[in-house]
Parts: sequence; structure tokens; C-alpha cells
Amino acid sequence: MIICPNCSHQNPDGATYCDSCYTPLPVITTVNCPSCGSPVQSDASFCGSCGFNLKSATQSIKNMPEETDHPSTLEEIVPTPESPDSIPDLPNEIEFEPELIESAPAENNPHTQLQQVGAFLIHVQTNIKLELPTNLQVIHIGKPNNMIPPDIDVSGFPDSDIVSRVHADIRFEGNAFYFEDTGSSNGTYMNNSVLPAGNRHKLRSGDRISLGKGDRVSFIFQMS
Amino acid sequence: MSVNLSCDFSDRQLDSSQSTSQRQLAITVSVDADASFSSTSLNLCLVLDHSGSMGGQPLDTVKKAAREIIDQMNYTDYISVVGFDHKAKVVVANQTLTNPEAVKDNIQSLRASGGTSIDEGIKLALQELSKAKQNTISQAFVLTDGENEHGDNQRCLQFSQLAAEYGMTLHTLGFGDSWNQDVLEKIADAGGGAMAYIENPDRATSEFQRLLRRAKSVGLINAHLILKLAPNVRLAELKPIAQVMPDTIELEPERNADTYTVRLGDLMVGNDRTIIVNLYINHNSAHIIPTTSPNSIQAVTAQIRYDDPQSKLEGLLSPAVTADLILIKDFKPQINPQVQPSILALAKYRQTQLAETKLKEGDRTGAVTMLQSAAKTALQMGDRQAATVLQASATTLQSGTDLSEAERKQTRMVSKTVLQIPTQTPTQTPSQTPQPPTK
Repeated sequence: MIICPNCSHQNPDGATYCDSCYTPLPVITTVNCPSCGSPVQSDASFCGSCGFNLKSATQSIKNMPEETDHPSTLEEIVPTPESPDSIPDLPNEIEFEPELIESAPAENNPHTQLQQVGAFLIHVQTNIKLELPTNLQVIHIGKPNNMIPPDIDVSGFPDSDIVSRVHADIRFEGNAFYFEDTGSSNGTYMNNSVLPAGNRHKLRSGDRISLGKGDRVSFIFQMS
Repeated sequence: MSVNLSCDFSDRQLDSSQSTSQRQLAITVSVDADASFSSTSLNLCLVLDHSGSMGGQPLDTVKKAAREIIDQMNYTDYISVVGFDHKAKVVVANQTLTNPEAVKDNIQSLRASGGTSIDEGIKLALQELSKAKQNTISQAFVLTDGENEHGDNQRCLQFSQLAAEYGMTLHTLGFGDSWNQDVLEKIADAGGGAMAYIENPDRATSEFQRLLRRAKSVGLINAHLILKLAPNVRLAELKPIAQVMPDTIELEPERNADTYTVRLGDLMVGNDRTIIVNLYINHNSAHIIPTTSPNSIQAVTAQIRYDDPQSKLEGLLSPAVTADLILIKDFKPQINPQVQPSILALAKYRQTQLAETKLKEGDRTGAVTMLQSAAKTALQMGDRQAATVLQASATTLQSGTDLSEAERKQTRMVSKTVLQIPTQTPTQTPSQTPQPPTK
């Protein structure tokens, strides 16, 4: 079924003009995502199932070797992550020597040993990895403002105009991360469905968080 | 006199890697006339509304236009005049034009009063036309200025369809602003004729003359298009067949196994009819005919059945023309530039119709969007006048104002045909064109 963008008439496959209003129809073929194999439309930028960047030549997965090496463990104490690539505006990391550290086959030198749970957000559109500051109970996401300054400031990212100054927060409670929209103007989408303001969502690795409509500022949550 | 058929696909090549393709087939029907063409008599009936609202200048100009028509006809032509208000009466019984002055006097005697029943007028017109329908070109010009208050619109349509079955053609003329463009368009479409819009009284003569020229150019009548589709070819579900030249008319095919028949009506010399057929081709079950090129599919065979009043023959058949498609491995779309304007003309009409539907449903924003896309389509086909009218209507609607009756009729007219005569610009001129809202 090809839906006409002009009059919404449902056209059979193979149509190049809308049967109803003869508007030229976009030619969309279905290909398979090279990362997870699920069907995606040929004009898609990101795979809807795994978040793979279909437009980039190098896979974004190459930037995150930890995921492929470790299975994602949610409730347990997780091993130390490698030192992050680039973190804008994060406070000092507190170094600990936790007892339950597995020996992680990290490629980089694990000098930085953070607290038990480490998690980060991968900004989908730029592939920048943002470590979630673990010393904070609540991490505010947004843009500079006078009321609640953000701990994660997205104003430097492209399309950040869609993000509110006080957009959302992530809080760490009882070994789990919870995401909540704190009253943003353009809303938040969790795995492509609307997350109403005030609804706390328990984050799992691979969750896709989209600030505002249209998947313009998106993050993939990863526990390490 | 003979009929010429030409068939062209929107894109003659098919992508062999796909399983179904959609294509449009443009069929152009033209008449070759010879010297003896003008020997067939015209059988014309003028059906004139003389209801109270026509009083004064309107009826006077119509009478004048009718008199001028009489002057243009031959003494071997047949003329009849029917006047109607809420009832109809024969003003001039069907006769040859041996005494034009008497005919004109009878027309002059029409007085304006009463209501409007268009179907009564059409019914009498059919009766009068039947008296001379043997071997003539029978045409009726139905003029009204208002709604069919005392009549039944459904009955009008039935009479119009009946006229077409008898091989007669009904044209409609809307006078002023108060007539119902849906009803008059449907009557003209069913009757195989044209719809004309007399915006103000001084246009009456030119519109009558235009229709008379059209009636005089008819060479063959009662034409039907016969289409035979290959087993792997099917018509699209929604309104698959439509005429696009000279006017856009939705056509309803009659099906008989794999053969579809569509009535076209008159075939005019120098005024070809172009029909667009929307098809879906299934590659997998294609019967590849081993012709000169091994990958060609014979998709459609077209033929015309018609009557020739001059030679007094009926049910004549034109030579059959076959249209085929070629399966190509490395397919790149190649739109036939001769078919493209026809598709655009149909798009312009359909998009305007959708806008009107949305307006009736109360979806003003949707109507504005469709009118704007119709305007863009008009520009693409080079019809600047239509683009101007459609865009102006869109802007008016967007500003919250309803379209005036005149604007609605202009919109209908530019969507249906490419007008030769420039119309007046609408009385409401928007002082500023606001930007359309982005979705």
C-alpha cells in the first residue's frame, strides 16, 4: 500500500501516480538493515529497530566496543566502562575501587574507575557518547536557563531548538535509571511512542529517547 | 471520413525487477474529414430558461444570441426551440430553416416569469429532436440561470443519459451566478457535451457561438471506445478511465469479460478527444508474445465504434490499435512527454474536485492544500489562467472568507477545461497573499 502524501488515498504497490489525484508518488523500496536485518524503507536515515545509522559508511557500533563484548546486565553491578570519548560539561568523576569489578577486557586503559553503575547516552545524530554523571541523584537534561540548569546540555547539538530548557531528567534509584519528561514543550518519545510528562520510564539498554517530535534529537541509553 | 486512433503509454518500459507496475495509456481519437464533410444537416434544439429571474437584460441578451445562432445556420439544418419555466412549452417546433425570420419572431415572443424546471425543458427537447434525428447531427443547448427548484435533478440526468443513447448531444450553459454547477456539469457529462459559463450578459453571444462552432465541427456521432486488456493487465480500482481533452470528463466503462466499452459521443473534426486509462500490469503472469522484441507485452487493444450520419451507416469500426510494453532489466523511468500534459490535466481536475469535496465536509485547510496543489499542477502544464484562479480561490479560503458563487463557477470551469477566452478576475481581490501554513 502506498499512501498518497496529498490526498491520503491508498494506492496498490507499483503505483507511480496516485489513482485518485494523480500526484506523483515517492518511489519507496524496502531494503534490509545491515546491522539487524529488519526491513527498512530505502529513504530511511536510521533503522527503526536497532537505531543503526543507515546513512553513514562506518558503523556507529564501532565506537562502542563494550556493547558487543559484554551482555547488557541490568540489575547487577556492572564492570567498569572505558574512559569516555567526549563528555561535555560533566562534573568530576569520582574514582572508586569497587569490590565487585569483573575484569573487563577493555581496549583502553581503565584508569577511570567509576562508581558501581555506569551508563551513558549515545546521541544518535552525531554519535557522541555522553556519560551520565554518577555522583548525581538526578540528572537534568535541557538547555541553559535560570531555573534548573541542565546537567546534560544539548544546546550544542543540531536541531536543539526543539528541546526545552527544562526538558527531562534521569534519576538513579535503587540500581535503576528512570527517565521522566519534566514538562517539555515538544514532548518526549520513548522508543518511538509518546512518553507523557510525569510518567517515569525505567530505562533499559537500547532504549531510544527522542526529545521533541520527528526524531531530531535522539539518544540511545546504554548501561555498561 | 475515417477515425484515427493513437495509443501512447506514459512510460513504455517496465522494470523487470518489480512484480507490478502502474501505467497510464493516453488514447487520442481524431477524425479525418474529406471535402464532402459539411453535407450533414445539424439538428439543433435551443432549450431556454425564461423564469422570472431572467427578466430584463438577461433574457434579451439570450434572445439576441439565439437570433445570431439562427443566422449562422443553413436552410437545410433543423431548428427547434423549447422555453421552460416550471413547465415547458415548444416555442418553435422542429423544422428546417426555410423561414428563419418566423423562427426568430417566435423566440422574441418569450416572456420572463415563473419558476425553473430544467428536466421539463430537456424532456421536450428530446421529443423535438427525435423528429429529425435520422442522419442528422442532433445537439441541444440547455441554458438556465438558476437552481432546478421545481424540477428533479435526477430526472435531468436520466434524460441526458437517454439523449446520449439516442446519439444526441446535450450541452449546458449556466447564465449568471445562481445556477448549480454540479448539476449542469453532470448533465453535460452524461449528455456527452460541454458546459459553458456565461458570466455576464454580454458573454452570451460568444458562448453560444463557441458551442455552435463545436456542433458544426461534428463529423461522426455515437462513438464508443472499446478496450481489450491482456490477462495480466487490469484497470485501476478508482475511476480508471477519464477523458482529458477537450474537457475533463469522468467516464464509466461497461465491462464484458475482458472488454471495456466507454461512450465518447461526438467526434469532431479538428478537436480530438484524448482519454487516459489508468492500468496495473502484473509482470509475473505476463504472456510474452514472441514478436520482434522478445520482452514485449501486448497490453491493450483499442478500437472505436461509431455512426456516420453522412453515409447513413451505423456501428462502423475503426482499425484496432495495439499498445505494448517492454520489460527492461536496467530500468530508468522515461516519461513520454506527449502523455505528461494529459496526466497533468487530469490531476488538475481531480485535485480541484477533492478540494470541493473537502470544503463540503468542512475541512477548510484540506481544501486549501488541494487547491494549491491543483494550482501548481496547472502551472506545470502551462495553464496560467487556471493556476491564477485556483491560487486565488485557495488564498480567499485561507483568509477565512467563503468563495463567492462566481468564484466557485470559475474554479469549476478552469479545472475542467483549458479556456481560450480570458475570464474576468474575481471581484474580491486579496490585497496580500499570506504564506501557506507549513505542515
